[in-house]
Amino acid sequence: MTTHEEEIDYAPLLGSDDALAIGLAPKKKLGLGFWISAFWVVLITLLAVLAPILPIKDPSENYVVTEKAENLRGDLVEKPVQPPYSLSGKHLLGTDKDARDMLSRTIFGARISLAVGFITAILGLAIGGALGMLAGYFKGWLDKIISAFFLVSLSFPGLILAILVVSLLDRSLWTISITIGMLAIAPVGRLARAQTITFAEREFVIAAETLGAKRSRIILREMLPNVLIPMATLSMLVVAIAIVAEGALAFLGLSVQQTATWGKLILTGSDMNSLENAPWIAFGPIIFLFFTVAALNYMSDRLRDYFDVREIYDLSD
Amino acid sequence: MRRAIKRLLGLGLLLTVISMVTFAAMNILGDPLFNILGPIAGDVDNPESVKIIEEAKEQYYLDKSLPERYARWAGDFVTGDFGVRFSATGQPPVTDLIKERFPRTLQLMIMAQLIAVGLAIPWAVTAASRANSKTDKTSTVTAFAFVSLPNFALAVILFYVFSIRLDWLPDVYTATDPFWGFTHNHRLIQNLLPALTLGLGGAAAYQRLLRTDLITTLQEDFILMARSKGVSRRKVLYKHALRPSLFSLITVLAINISYMIGGALVVETFFRIPGLGTAVVEAVLREDFPVVLAIVMIVATAFMVFNYLADLLYGVIDPRVRTNEKESTPIFRSLWKSQTNLEAEEKINDETVEVSS
Repeated sequence: MTTHEEEIDYAPLLGSDDALAIGLAPKKKLGLGFWISAFWVVLITLLAVLAPILPIKDPSENYVVTEKAENLRGDLVEKPVQPPYSLSGKHLLGTDKDARDMLSRTIFGARISLAVGFITAILGLAIGGALGMLAGYFKGWLDKIISAFFLVSLSFPGLILAILVVSLLDRSLWTISITIGMLAIAPVGRLARAQTITFAEREFVIAAETLGAKRSRIILREMLPNVLIPMATLSMLVVAIAIVAEGALAFLGLSVQQTATWGKLILTGSDMNSLENAPWIAFGPIIFLFFTVAALNYMSDRLRDYFDVREIYDLSD
Repeated sequence: MRRAIKRLLGLGLLLTVISMVTFAAMNILGDPLFNILGPIAGDVDNPESVKIIEEAKEQYYLDKSLPERYARWAGDFVTGDFGVRFSATGQPPVTDLIKERFPRTLQLMIMAQLIAVGLAIPWAVTAASRANSKTDKTSTVTAFAFVSLPNFALAVILFYVFSIRLDWLPDVYTATDPFWGFTHNHRLIQNLLPALTLGLGGAAAYQRLLRTDLITTLQEDFILMARSKGVSRRKVLYKHALRPSLFSLITVLAINISYMIGGALVVETFFRIPGLGTAVVEAVLREDFPVVLAIVMIVATAFMVFNYLADLLYGVIDPRVRTNEKESTPIFRSLWKSQTNLEAEEKINDETVEVSS
C-alpha cells in the first residue's frame, strides 16, 4: 500500500458539518484557472527550453532601422534611426536602446529565471525533504540537530545571505541557484517533518512496522508518497519565490553575469530615461514575470486546497 | 515564566550561532586585508608594503586567530560598539553609520505597515460583508495579483505611474531633509512611493487572511444576535466582527515585518534611499564586513524578536479557543480584560503550562 485511503462509509455524513470538516462535502475541483495557469507555465517552459531552435529573432542582434534623410550637403543618405523602437509588427514587444528585440530577449531571459527556479525547487525538495523526513521519523537527537539547523536557517535574513554568498563567490547560474536553494531547504524541510510526524502514527505505517518492514522501506514506500503531495504543492511556491529572489538579486546588480534574466531586463528598462521614453523595455519582462509568478502561486494555492494541506504556523520548536 | 526565559536564552544562542557563521564565512571566503589596503595587500616583496601590511594587520587585529577576533568582536558588539569599517580610513565607525541609516529604514517600515494595515482592514471588511459577491471576487483577484507582483516590479510600476506619468511625487530622493512636511523636500513625501510599494503587497496579504477570518466570525451566533437587536450593519462589522477576527492578522503582521526588511533592501536601492538596505548592499559589494555583520545582526534580531512576540501572541490566541471553550476561555478572555486581570490570569496560565509539560 503506497497511498493512504481510509475506507469509511461517508454516506450518513453527507451534508452535515462533519462532512465539511473531513473535506468530503462538495466535490473538489482544480478549476479552469488552474489549467490556464498550468498551460502558461508549460508554455513558457517550452519556449525557454526550445528558444535556440525556435524561429525567433536573435536576442543579441541589433536590428537597426535606417531611413532616408538629408545630410549636411543636402543629399539623401541612409541614416540609422535612433533606437529604442516602439512596439510594432516586426518587434512585438519593441526593442531596447541597442535595437535588440525585447520579445526574444524576454524568452531567452526566461531560460535563466526558470532554471534558477527549478534548480532551487529540486534542491529544496531533495535536501529539505530528506532531512525533514529523517527528523520526523527517527526523532531523538537527529531531530534536534536538524530542527536546530532549520531554525538557524529560517532566522537568517535570506536576501542578505544570498547577496553575501553571491558577492563572495561568483555570479554563475549554479552559485545563484544553489544559494537560493539553500534558503528553500528549511521551509520545505519543516513541512516534510511535520507531515512525517503525523503519518508515522497512522495505521498503515504501524502495520508495516509490525510486519517487520525495513526502515528504509517504510520511509521510501510508505511515507514518501504521502509526504510528497504536500511538498509538491509547496515546491510550486518555491519556484515562484526563487524566480522573484533572482529578480531581486538582479536588481541589486548581483545576478547571473553576461546572460540577461527577467530581473536584469526589468532593471535595464527602469531608469528614468527609459521609463519616460520607452516604458515597454521594462514592462514586457514585468508582464512575463508577473504571469509566471501568479500562475505558480495560483497552482500552489489550488493544489493546497485540493489536497487539503494545512499551513503550519508552528514557530515554537 | 520559566518557559519564556528559556525561549529568550534560545534566541540568544541562535543569534550567537548566526553571528559566528557570518563572521567565519566572511573571513574565510573574503580577503579582509585586501579590502582595507587595496592592491598593496598582495605586494609582499616590497619591504615598505610589508610594513604597511603589518601595521594594518595589527590595527584591525588581523594577526590574531579567528576565534580570538570573533571573541573581541562579540565583546564589543554586546556593549553597542560595532567596530571599525574595513575601508582605507575605517571612518565613520560602523555604529555611527548605523545610527545615521537606521531611522530612515525605520520610518519606511512604519509607513509601509501603516499603509498595509490601513488598506487591509476596510478592504477585508468590505469583501467579507459581501462574501462571494462580484465585489468580493474582484477584490480577491486584485489581492492575489498584488501578492504575486514582486516588490521590484511594483516599484517600477508605481514610479512610472506616479512620478513620471502623473508627476505627483518626486523622482529624486535626497532623504537628508526633515521628515515632517508636505513638499517634495520632506521625507514623508519622498517615502510615500517606497512605502506604498512595500505596503500594497502587505495589504494584499493581510486582506486575504483577514477576509477569511471575518467570514468565519460573521457566521457566529453573536453576530446574528447583534443584528437582530438592531445594531447597525456598519457597527456590527467594525465593532463586533472585526475585533475577534484581528488576532491571526496580528500574528502575521509581526512575521511580515521581517519579510518587509528583505523587501526594503530592493526598494531602498531602487528609490535610492540611504537606509540600512542600501548600506548593506554597498557594504557587500565593497566587502566591508563589519558593516554587513552589524546589519545581519540587526535584521536577525528584529526577525527573532518579532517572531517571538508573534509566538507569544499565538500561544495566547490558540485557535482552539473558538471551539474548545471549557479549557481555554480564560486565556481568550484575558485579551479583553484589564491589565491586572490579565497578569493574574497569566500566572494561572503559566502554572498550567508547567504542569502539562
